[in-house]
Amino acid sequence: MKWAVATSGFDEVFEPGGAPRPHYAPLIGILESFTREDVDRRERLQKLALMNQGITFTVYGEKEGLERIFPFDFVPRIVPAAEWKRIQDGLVQRITTLNLFLLDVYQEQRCLKDGVIPPELVLSRTEYKRELLGLTPPRKIFTHVVGTDLIRNATGEYLVLEDNCRCPSGVSYVLENRALLNRVFPEFFAPYPVRPVKEYPTLLLETLLYVAPRPSQSPVVVVLSPGIHNSAYFEHSFLAREMGVPLVEGRDLLVEGNQVFMRRTHGKRRVDVIYRRIDDDFLDPLTFRRDSMLGVPGLVNVYREGNVALANAPGAGVADDKAVYAFMPELIRYYLGEEPLLAQVPTYVGFRRDDFRYMTEHLDELVVKTTGDAGGYGMLMGPFASKKERESYLAVMKKNPGNHIGQPLVQLSSHPTHSHGRFEPRRIDLRPFILYGDRIRVLPGGLTRVALRPGSFVVNSSQGGGSKDTWVLAPREP
Amino acid sequence: MILSRVADALYWMGRYLERAENTTRLLLVTEEMVSEVIGLDEGAARAECSELRAIFPGIDASDEVPRPTKAMAQAALYELSIDAAHPHSIFFSLKKARDNARTVREALTIEVFVSLNETYRELGGYTRRQIADLPSFRDAMAATQRGILSTAGAIEQTLARDPGWLFLKLGESMERVFRTTVVLRAKLPELLAQEPKVDLPLFYTRWRGLLRGLSSLENYRKVHGARMEPADALQFLLFDPHTPRSLRYGTSAVKELLERVSGTSQLSLPARIIGRLAADLAYQGQDDVLREGRAIPFLDHVLAELTRCHDTLSTTYFGT
Repeated sequence: MKWAVATSGFDEVFEPGGAPRPHYAPLIGILESFTREDVDRRERLQKLALMNQGITFTVYGEKEGLERIFPFDFVPRIVPAAEWKRIQDGLVQRITTLNLFLLDVYQEQRCLKDGVIPPELVLSRTEYKRELLGLTPPRKIFTHVVGTDLIRNATGEYLVLEDNCRCPSGVSYVLENRALLNRVFPEFFAPYPVRPVKEYPTLLLETLLYVAPRPSQSPVVVVLSPGIHNSAYFEHSFLAREMGVPLVEGRDLLVEGNQVFMRRTHGKRRVDVIYRRIDDDFLDPLTFRRDSMLGVPGLVNVYREGNVALANAPGAGVADDKAVYAFMPELIRYYLGEEPLLAQVPTYVGFRRDDFRYMTEHLDELVVKTTGDAGGYGMLMGPFASKKERESYLAVMKKNPGNHIGQPLVQLSSHPTHSHGRFEPRRIDLRPFILYGDRIRVLPGGLTRVALRPGSFVVNSSQGGGSKDTWVLAPREP
Repeated sequence: MILSRVADALYWMGRYLERAENTTRLLLVTEEMVSEVIGLDEGAARAECSELRAIFPGIDASDEVPRPTKAMAQAALYELSIDAAHPHSIFFSLKKARDNARTVREALTIEVFVSLNETYRELGGYTRRQIADLPSFRDAMAATQRGILSTAGAIEQTLARDPGWLFLKLGESMERVFRTTVVLRAKLPELLAQEPKVDLPLFYTRWRGLLRGLSSLENYRKVHGARMEPADALQFLLFDPHTPRSLRYGTSAVKELLERVSGTSQLSLPARIIGRLAADLAYQGQDDVLREGRAIPFLDHVLAELTRCHDTLSTTYFGT
């Protein structure tokens, strides 16, 4: 089996001289004891296991009901304990700030008055829901579940690429990837103190119970899904199963007397906490999009009355807006009086006239994104785009400058990934998951997404990405 | 208690899983019999094929039997086995069972889902050409039947006996008794009209085929021995209290489940409908029903009552 070292950016496994980093040495030893035939056979077992267990996502736009497996690479990513400690502290600081920011912009708007962030920028975001102004969610928590995307620059420093404060997905793959790797390559684990991730559903349930409006009455928690056709349906079903709570769709719920109920075979039952995996806009046709068939009419009013908790709270999306992101270091200093523990990517905000001019003049050096989109949609990779692509993108940008941000291309770190009998460098990122309940907890693990195409920077599953198991190591006893 | 949508999905998962098993068995039994007797009595072979059409309306079995070697029309075998577009194919039923299971995975165990999913995927892997080759067709059917039975085993061994399980079993029991009635209704007119003419062995073969198609031949022999008496067979399929595919056993299975779902001393409408039908089958004079010319109208009555029971249970529990 052959190994290739990354030619650009940070190599997760090999030092510049070509020697493996110490925490990867045992793994490489094990991998080298396998023949090509061993590896091919186990990869076949792995695919079969995924198909048979129905761990699939639905692809849009192709044949009806086409199910795909999310490609999995069996070479795990390993994060040493000390490195993880820094990530974890940085994430706690960041999520604390995001939540304070949300409480502020829906209440006193101090940060706007004090000029930390331009008021027009925040208030013009589509994710800023003025219908919810003045409303405090139960226990003052907006962001119960956050998935923050991290990348590593050329020196290996972790940078925050974006925060996902609405319905971050992927945590089911964190758990399934671990189970799968253990099933197919059990030999990998012996030399490593790998921290378990299996506790996540329990912690998620505790997080949700914490915000129940009737904490004394054994509250009813449900997972609200748009249904089987949603690409993340497997995850919705997985989390409901793992937590032992009902999985519901909008049509299963109804509002009566300012309370939410689910329709059952023998009468209805009150619901206290909804872990909703539906965007704000579709949540309640009486408050947001009228044409939504996925939501529950009257739900927001019940929420307003404090008779149901929604996780994440409606309106939280404004905190992960890509333009708001540019102000995060300032917001951390403003709310906490601390320096940010995790760096982030320098960002030009189209909302500022000077920034926008810089973006238009340096389009060939920048990655430009629309502020509202996720999943790699609506993005221009300037350095790789043709002149024609840049020009047509520019025309779109000029129609709505405030809707765009620009960032220099960060190399992303690379990790050996199996491809036809060779281990080749492929670019990766990392999405840890953070829960905000009685305190903030970071799951010791995360989703490592990998750009499977050689040279590609795009790790999104909708665009040719795969994933890896991510090992956070426990500190060894001295 | 459980969400109406979940109960609905589990009920249909049970129905489609049972339907897939019934179709597999009937197809296997019919194809084998037709292959065997085609040279002996082409008319009988034709009749068996067209009865399949009555059981599964819309299949293309009309102009089959082109040559003795290709006993059953390949089109019919294909349509009833792996044709995804045909609403009576085994694949279609398995897909429906699996689609329903996918929407309520949280109500199932991993063993149940994986077994069903594997069975579905395995059958989906067969091509039209493989199905056209009879030995490979029989392999496919046998594998599918094994897969369905292990799914049923997983349901038996791993599922909690909660309300979800009740609705799953209700769907299974309803489909089973409904299918027995439809098969009897399709096959009896021809079987009863026939006098044991010249070819006595063939006459008995067809009656045995009926019992095999309802997986009741071995159970029949335990009660009546190897001797095939049409009157005994008919009595057995309608009134035997122990064989799981008799009408009497089937209706009382549905009745018991509906009483448990109903839960109170005040029985729901579907529970009362099936209760009366089960009482008819248990207490009515059997000779009365078996008298000449009475069996067919009685089966029509059973079909109508089963349909009414299904419709009322849908409105009562699923809100549909």
